[in-house]
Amino acid sequence: MSFASGCKIRFMVAFCVAANIAVLPLRAEKKISVVTTLPDLASIAQEIGGEHVTTFAIAKGYQDPHFVDPKPSYMVRLQKADLFVQIGLDLETGWVPPLLDGARNPDILPGGRGFVDASENVPLLEVPAGDPSKLRSQGDIHAYGNPHYWLDPLRGKIVAKNLLDALVRMQPENQGYFEKNLQAFNLKIDTLTQRLAARFAPFNGSRVIAFHNSWPYFDERFGFDLVGFMEPKPGIPPTPRHLVAVIKKMKQAEVRVIIIAPYYSKKSSKLVASKTDAVVVELAGSVGAEDGIKTYFDLFEYNINKLIVALQTSGSPAQQ
Amino acid sequence: MPFESILRIRFCLLALLLFVPSPATTQPVKASANQEIETLKSEVRKLRETVDSLQATLGRQVPPVESEDVKADSAEARLEAELAAELAVTSEVRAENDGAQLRGTVSRAGASLNPKISVIGSFLGAGTTADAVEKSYDAGLTEAEFSFQSYIDPYAKADFFIAFGHEVEDPFIGPDEEAAFSGEFETELEEAYLTTLSLPFSLQLKAGKFRSAFGKINQPHPHAWDFVDVPRMYMNYLGGEGLVDRGASLNWLVPNPFGFYQQLTLEVTSGATEGSSSFEATKEPLYLLHLKNFFDLHESTTLEVGFSGLRGTNDAARNITNIAAVDMTLRWKPLRLNRYKSFEWITEALVSNRETPAGEVNSTALYSFLRYQIGKRWFLGGRYDYSEFPDNGDAHESAWSGILSFFATEFQKLELQYQHGSPADAASFDRVLLRAVFVIGAHGAHQY
Repeated sequence: MSFASGCKIRFMVAFCVAANIAVLPLRAEKKISVVTTLPDLASIAQEIGGEHVTTFAIAKGYQDPHFVDPKPSYMVRLQKADLFVQIGLDLETGWVPPLLDGARNPDILPGGRGFVDASENVPLLEVPAGDPSKLRSQGDIHAYGNPHYWLDPLRGKIVAKNLLDALVRMQPENQGYFEKNLQAFNLKIDTLTQRLAARFAPFNGSRVIAFHNSWPYFDERFGFDLVGFMEPKPGIPPTPRHLVAVIKKMKQAEVRVIIIAPYYSKKSSKLVASKTDAVVVELAGSVGAEDGIKTYFDLFEYNINKLIVALQTSGSPAQQ
Repeated sequence: MPFESILRIRFCLLALLLFVPSPATTQPVKASANQEIETLKSEVRKLRETVDSLQATLGRQVPPVESEDVKADSAEARLEAELAAELAVTSEVRAENDGAQLRGTVSRAGASLNPKISVIGSFLGAGTTADAVEKSYDAGLTEAEFSFQSYIDPYAKADFFIAFGHEVEDPFIGPDEEAAFSGEFETELEEAYLTTLSLPFSLQLKAGKFRSAFGKINQPHPHAWDFVDVPRMYMNYLGGEGLVDRGASLNWLVPNPFGFYQQLTLEVTSGATEGSSSFEATKEPLYLLHLKNFFDLHESTTLEVGFSGLRGTNDAARNITNIAAVDMTLRWKPLRLNRYKSFEWITEALVSNRETPAGEVNSTALYSFLRYQIGKRWFLGGRYDYSEFPDNGDAHESAWSGILSFFATEFQKLELQYQHGSPADAASFDRVLLRAVFVIGAHGAHQY
C-alpha cells in the first residue's frame, strides 16, 4: 500500500538522518589548534599531538626570541587557537602580552585552560639571587632564571609532559593516544641524547666562548666548558675593552671555538677569531634555524655535529 | 607498595640508630655498638641501592634531567627530605629539595600579587632661534609617568598612567599665558581605563579616560614616538598631547575570508579634549570611527592602512567639525638579523570640514616620517610636516626635521632632533631638541 511504502520511506529517511547525526561528531572532530611562541615548542607539540593537532609557531627559528615584533596578524592566529604555549620566564615578555590582549580569546590568557607555560616543573639554571632592583644593571637578566632551557633535550621531556597535560585537557578521549606518543618521544629523546653524548664524549670539557649566554643547558647536558661571552653583559653589545679581555682569556685557556646563534652579528666574533686562531661556529638556537633542522631532534643532532666539526678543525685541545 | 615498606624499614633503622648507646658509655659496649653501627650502615647502603633501583624502574618519579653522577646525590637528598617530612621538620628542607622549580613558582606567585609597575622618565633639552619664546634654550623633566597595569579578574584588565611634568611651550606659537617653556608643573591622570577580555564575537570594550584610536600615533604615548616633538597636524587639530578623552571605546576584530587583520573601533567620548582646537567648547559627545587593516606583504615586510573619522561640535552653537584621516605605515625588518637593520615609513593625512557662523572652513594637514636603522642601536630619521589650521584653510605652516636616535638598551633611548620650522605668521627658525627617555620597573612591551 502507498501508506505503508510512505511509512517505509519516511522511516528510511529518519534512519539516514539519525545515522548521519550519530556519525557527525566523529567526522567533525576538530583538530586542536596549537600556537606556540617558538618552533621548538611547536615541534614537541606535534610529536605528542600527532594527527589530532595543527601547530603554528610565531617566531622563526632564525629569529632572536627576545625581540619578536607583535604583529597584529599573529592576533588573528591566536584568536582561533585552542592552546597557546610559551617558553615563559619573561623570555617573551616584550611581545606576548600585547598579542594575548589583542587576541580576544579568554581561554588562552594566563590562567585560562588553553594557556601553557612550558617552563612549569623545569629545573632552572642561573636563578639570580639578591636584590632584584639591581638586576638590570647586570644587563638583560631574567629574574626567574636563564630561559634557554629547551636546548637541553632531557628538559624537553618535561616540556612534552606539560604539553601532554594540556592536550589531554582539550581532548580527554585521546589521552591514550597522546600518552603513547609521549612515551615514544621520551624514548627517542633518551636514545638520541645517549648517542650524542657518546659521540661528544671525546670532546668533553672542551673550552668554548659564546656570544650570548644562551647555552648553559646545552652545556650542562653535553659537557663542554663555557669559559666566557662576547657580550660584556647579557644584551649589551661587545665593547673593545671587553674583547681584549676575551682575547686574553682565549689565549690563556687555549679556546679555539666561538659559538653564536644565527641572529647575532658575527662581526665582533670573527674579529676575535682572527686574533686567536679560533673558528666561529653558528649553532642553531631553535628548530628551523637552518633548512635541515625540521624537528626538535634535528636541533641537537645539528648542533652536536657542528660543534664537533668545529672543535676538530680548530685543533682545540681536548680537556677533561 | 614495596617502596613504602622499605621506607618504613629505613625509618625503623634510623630510630634504632638514635637509640644506640652514646660514646660516653664503657669501652666494650662502644666496640659492640660500633660493630652494630657498621652492620646497620651496610644494611642502609643495601637498602639505598634497592630504593634506587626501584625508583629507576618507576621511571617517571626520577627527574629526567639528572645525569648519572648527580642521580646518586639527589636520590640521597630526596630520601633526606622524605625522612624530614616524616619527622615533621620545616617545609624549607623539602622546598630546597624540590629545586629551582618550586622556588620559581613561589617567587612568581609573590610578584603577581602586585600590578606591573613602571616609571618612565622623559627629559628634554631645547634651543631655538625663534623670537617669540621667552627663553631661547632650556631643559627640564617634561614627564615622569607612572604606570600600573594588571588583570582585574578573568574578565577585564586595568591600566593606569599618571604623569608629573612641566608643560612645554610650543615654539611655533610662542609663550601663552598658561605655560612658559619650563613653566607650570602639572600632575595629570593621563589614562585610566578598563579593558574587557571575554566579550563574545571578538569584541573588546574599553571604558575610562584613554588615548583615542585616531590615526597611527595617537594611541601610543608620546615618549614612545620615534620623534621628539608633536607633528604639526596633531598639534593643530587634536592638541599638544593628541586626542585624549573620557568615554567608551568598542572595537571588533572583523572576521574576513582573506584572514588578514582588520579592526573596527567605535568611540563615543565626552568631548572634553584639552587643547584640541578642532573640538573646543563642545556641548555634544565626540564620535570616532577607526578601521585598521594590517597586511603581511612578506615575512619581513608589513603594511598597515588605517582610516579615521571624527565628528563633534566646535562651539556652544553646536557647529560641527568633521575630520577624515588616513594613515599608512610600511615596515621592513629582516627576521634573521632583526636587531641590526630596519626601515619604517609612516604617513598620515587629514581633511577637516568645520562649520562656523561665518561659513564652512576646509583645511588639510599631513606629515611623513621615514626612519632607517643604521646600526644595532642607531637610527636615522627624517620628517616633513605640512599643516593648515582648523579655522583657516588659507594659511599654513611647515617644518623639516632630522632625527638621530640611540637605543642604549630597550630601557633607555636618546634622541636628537634638528628642525627647521616655517610658522604661518612669523619668521622661520631652527631648533634643536634633545630627549632622553628611560624606564624602570616592569618590562614594557612595545606596540607594533
